[in-house]
Amino acid sequence: MEPQNRISNKALTVWKISGLVGCSITWILSIAILVLTIIFDWTYWVFGAMIIISIIQSYLTIFLIPSVRWKRWRYEVRNTEIDIQSGIFVIKRTLIPMNRVQHVETKQGPLLRKYELASVEISTAATMHVIPALDLTEADELRHYISKMASVEEEDV
Amino acid sequence: MSDPKRLHPIAVLLNIIKSIKELVFPFLLVVVLPGKNDGIPGWIQPLVIGIIVLLLIVNAFIQWLRFTYRIEDGEFRIESGVIVRKKRYIKFDRIHSIDISEGIIQRIFRLVKVNIETAGGTQADAVLSAIRKSEAVQLNALIIEEKNKKTNNSLEGDFSEAGIKGNGEVEKATSVFKQTLPQLFIMAATSGAIGVFLSGGIAFISQFDEIIPFERIFKDYEEFIGMGTIILTVLAILGLLVVYVLATLSMVIRYASFTVVKTDEEIVISRGLLEKRRLTIPIHKVQGIRIMENLVRKPLGLATVYLEYAGGSVEDKESLSIMLFPLIKRKHLHGKIQEILPVYQTAMEMTPLPKRAYSRYVFRKGIYIIPIIGAMVWFFRPWGFLSLLLIPFALVWAYLQYRDAGWSIEGDLLLLCSRFLSKETLIMQRNRIQSITYKKSWFQKRKELATISASIKSGVGSQVGMVVDVEEKDCQTIKSWFLPKKAVDSQ
Repeated sequence: MEPQNRISNKALTVWKISGLVGCSITWILSIAILVLTIIFDWTYWVFGAMIIISIIQSYLTIFLIPSVRWKRWRYEVRNTEIDIQSGIFVIKRTLIPMNRVQHVETKQGPLLRKYELASVEISTAATMHVIPALDLTEADELRHYISKMASVEEEDV
Repeated sequence: MSDPKRLHPIAVLLNIIKSIKELVFPFLLVVVLPGKNDGIPGWIQPLVIGIIVLLLIVNAFIQWLRFTYRIEDGEFRIESGVIVRKKRYIKFDRIHSIDISEGIIQRIFRLVKVNIETAGGTQADAVLSAIRKSEAVQLNALIIEEKNKKTNNSLEGDFSEAGIKGNGEVEKATSVFKQTLPQLFIMAATSGAIGVFLSGGIAFISQFDEIIPFERIFKDYEEFIGMGTIILTVLAILGLLVVYVLATLSMVIRYASFTVVKTDEEIVISRGLLEKRRLTIPIHKVQGIRIMENLVRKPLGLATVYLEYAGGSVEDKESLSIMLFPLIKRKHLHGKIQEILPVYQTAMEMTPLPKRAYSRYVFRKGIYIIPIIGAMVWFFRPWGFLSLLLIPFALVWAYLQYRDAGWSIEGDLLLLCSRFLSKETLIMQRNRIQSITYKKSWFQKRKELATISASIKSGVGSQVGMVVDVEEKDCQTIKSWFLPKKAVDSQ
C-alpha cells in the first residue's frame, strides 16, 4: 500500500526553476566556448559536444526528472509512524516510528517562500528525513502534529 | 573539593606536545617544502623556529595556569582558555562515564588522564590531561556518590538499596574476556592495518625526499642498481615485510592485555601496553553489535566484534568505533556475547537471498568490469586479453557477496548480513532502530527484489546495515515486524 499524500503541485514548478538555473550555467559555458572557438579558430567538436550535453541536461533536469520525482513522492503521517516514498529510478520507502522522532522543523528557502511552500525536516537520533515541498499551512500543521505525537524515551536514544 | 584545582604541572609538557603535533604539518609545509631560500640569510629560519617554540612554551604554561576544575553545586566545573575564557559546567546526572587512561608521559610521572564523557557526543567532553591517580579515584567516587544521592532523592529516600547497588557493582565485576598474546598476534597480523601503515609510510617518505638525499644515495649505489631488477624486487619485498612486521607490532602494543569487564550497568574495556586506555560504556547506551569477518579471518573461523553505542566524542576517534572482541573464534562468539550482552543472539538462522538474486550481483560487477576489459583489450593488444581473467574473479566475488548476504528476525532482534570484502553482520534491537528504508530499482522490481536498510545511532552519527536484493515479500515482513503493533492491527 502506497502512502496517501502527495506533496504540493507547486513543487514541480520549483524544481523546474532550480533545474533551469542549473542548466543556464551549462548554456553560458557552451556560449563561452562558441565565442572562444570563433576567436581562436578551434575545432567545432568541443562546442558540438557541449551543445549536446546542454540539451540532454535541460531535458532531464527541467522536464523528465521533476515530473517523475513528483509522481513518486508520497508521504503519510500516521499515529505511530511516518511513511515516506521517494525516488526517481529507484523507489525508496522509509519508515520512521513516531517515538524515534527527536525533533521536527520546517524550512523555507527564497524559492520556496515565493511559492508559499516549506520543507519539513524530521530528525531521529541517527537519521534525517526531508519532505521537500508542502504548502506552508500544511507544513506547519504537520510539524505541530508530529511534535505532538513524538515522544522520545531517553532510554532508547 | 569545592576549591578550584589545577592540573599537575606536567600538563604544561603535554600541552606543548599537543600543539607541536598540531603544528607539524603546517610546519613541514612552510619550512620543508620550499627547500632552499637563497635570498634570506641562514640565521632567519632558526630564529623564527626559536620564537615559535618559545611562544608554544609560554602558551602551554598560561594554558595550564588558567585551567582549573572544581566540584560545586552538583556540577563539575571547568574554567580554561588563554584569550577566550571558557567555562564549562557539567551536571553530574549528565555525566555518563569517566574514563581513565595513561599515556607514556603520564605513566612516567604516575599520573592519569581523565575523560569525563557526557551523553551529548557532539560537544567536546571534559578532559583532565594530568592528575594524580589518587585524585582521579577520589573524583570518580565523589561523582558516583553524588549521582547516587540524586537517584536516592528521586526514589524518595530509599538509600539503603542504592548503597548496596553501589557496592555490588564493584564486587560483581568479573573479567569476561581476555585476549591472549598469541591471539593478539594473529589479530594484528590479519588486520589489514598494513595497508594504512604502507600508505602512511609512502606519504611520509614523499614528504622528506627533499631532505633525504636520495639522488646521492642512489649515485653511490649505481653499480648496485645495475645488478638488476631481481635484487631490487627482493629488496622491495623485504621492505614491505619490515613494514608489515612493524605494523603488526604496533597493533599488538596498542591492544596488549585487552580485557573486557562487565558490571551491572557498564562494560569496561581496558587495553594498551605503553599507553593504557580504559573505556566505560553504559550498557543501556549500546545500540547494537557488529561482527566483522575479513578475507583472511573468515576462512580461519575468526571474527572481530564491534560495539555500536550512542556516545563518544568527535575528538576521540577511538571512542566512536569500539572493539568488544578484537579476535574471537566464531564458535565461541555466541557464549561470550551471552555473558556480556545477553539480549543479543548471534546464533540466529539466516534467511538467505533467493537464487535469482545471484544474477543481479553478477550484473552489478559486470557494469564495472566489462568497460574495463573492453578498454584493455582495445588499447593494449595482445596483453589486454589478460584482463579477461577478471571475469572468473568477478564471478567468484559476486558469488561470495551473494552467499554471505541475508537477514533474520528473532524476537526483538534484527540481523542484517552483507559483504563487500569483509562479511559484516549487524545485530540490532527493535527499539534501537531509528528508521527502516527499502528501495527497489526498475531491475529489482522486475525480479521482485528490494534493498533493505536499517539505521541505528552510533557514536555521533549512524550505522547503517544494508542488504541488497532480498525477496520483496521479506521486506514487508521486516516492515511489519518493525512497526509498532497497534499500527499493523489497524491496517
